[in-house]
Amino acid sequence: MPEMAELERSLDLLREAIEWPGTPPLAGRITARIATPAPTPRAWFQSRWALAATVVLLAVAALIAYTPSRDAIAGWINLHTGITRVNHLPTPTPQPSGPLGKRLGLGDPTTLAAARAKVGWKVVVPASLGQPDEVYFQVDAPAGEVNLVYKSRPGMKVSGQTGVAVLITEVSGRVDTNYFGKMLGQGTTIEDVTVNGHKGWWISGEPHEFFFADANGNFRSETLRLATNTLVIDDNGTIIRIEGDLTRAQALEIAASLS
Amino acid sequence: MHPMEGRPTDGDLFTRAQRGDKAAYEDIVRRYQDVAFRTAYVITGSSADAEDAAQEGFVKAYRALATFRTGAEPRPWLLRIVANEARNRARSAGRRHQLELRLAERFRPGDAAPSPEAAAVAAEDRSRLLAHVNGLSQEDRQVIASRYFLELSGEETAAALGIPEGTVKSRLSRALTRLRERVEESPRA
Repeated sequence: MPEMAELERSLDLLREAIEWPGTPPLAGRITARIATPAPTPRAWFQSRWALAATVVLLAVAALIAYTPSRDAIAGWINLHTGITRVNHLPTPTPQPSGPLGKRLGLGDPTTLAAARAKVGWKVVVPASLGQPDEVYFQVDAPAGEVNLVYKSRPGMKVSGQTGVAVLITEVSGRVDTNYFGKMLGQGTTIEDVTVNGHKGWWISGEPHEFFFADANGNFRSETLRLATNTLVIDDNGTIIRIEGDLTRAQALEIAASLS
Repeated sequence: MHPMEGRPTDGDLFTRAQRGDKAAYEDIVRRYQDVAFRTAYVITGSSADAEDAAQEGFVKAYRALATFRTGAEPRPWLLRIVANEARNRARSAGRRHQLELRLAERFRPGDAAPSPEAAAVAAEDRSRLLAHVNGLSQEDRQVIASRYFLELSGEETAAALGIPEGTVKSRLSRALTRLRERVEESPRA
């Protein structure tokens, strides 16, 4: 058997001998592509760049001046979600067709009992909604991620973004792990809330953008999508995200009934 | 590029691009287009698909610049986006290509002008080793190509292959073991 070190040396030597197909002249083409405005929000942004820049500065100034938002954002950055206030939202990733789990990147279908057996934390269910209609387990998350789907419930609209009434995502793991990223445009507000003694944030108004981060806290581009009103509760290591076309009161009631 | 002003760092270019400087983004693309295209080629096995994936990936990354964290490493961030495009193409029905890495002509045995025997043997060895790499499973071939031929870091390989960084090491170790077995099973002619 050749020594492993010898094999690795041979592979290193092979590198210079490999013939790669010629790299196409991408830079010029990409510059041409990005000069073309993307769909609506971007067209607005590009045609009024100076105005948009001013709006961002004002928004940043307002966030710095306004204590609850500043605290909320500082909290997000240090805990599980990077949050960015942007003047335009990037183009969301086209959602793949197919079943809900694939479309929203929720993972593989499973049962509540099986999901509970896979993770090392307590998966909670809101008593106010009852048992979920579907459960998914996402193995890509650093310590696993459980998604509970409620297709419809009386008095709750089906969200245009998810196609279901309520989507609850639960993740847990290291306190310093970044799980989610959010980008809020100017029409979205963020507000501090407290649920059963836990810190939370209620993000509402115009749809914002949401994406998952990988184990290193990096953006997972395939998951960038629009999200509707969302309540996020953070319990130092466990984070619960409740998304739906809900009122603040409905979201808080769901959160308060989690057990 | 303005050589007189020195080469801007990746961080400078990203900051400028995030502020809407398209020329800075063009510089970023120039800096990374080779590694991005080749990474996409390793994943798709097709230069046409790799070209599409790299182009779409760079456009998508531009639109998502707001999600790039200041201070983060730009290469894995870009490679992840491009590689994700490449994987989507590789998965699409009817677009299954087998990656086949080739030796440059001057390194091919028999193609070069008569050479000293030592060089001829080295050429045979290279050719044989590459044939064994090409004969591995797609997973094994991709991890070896990423680490040894593209010289990606562990983090970049994880981003390119869409696997956790911790998995890269174990996958590479298994791939090397299997490659070594193949080399061993096929004695020199």
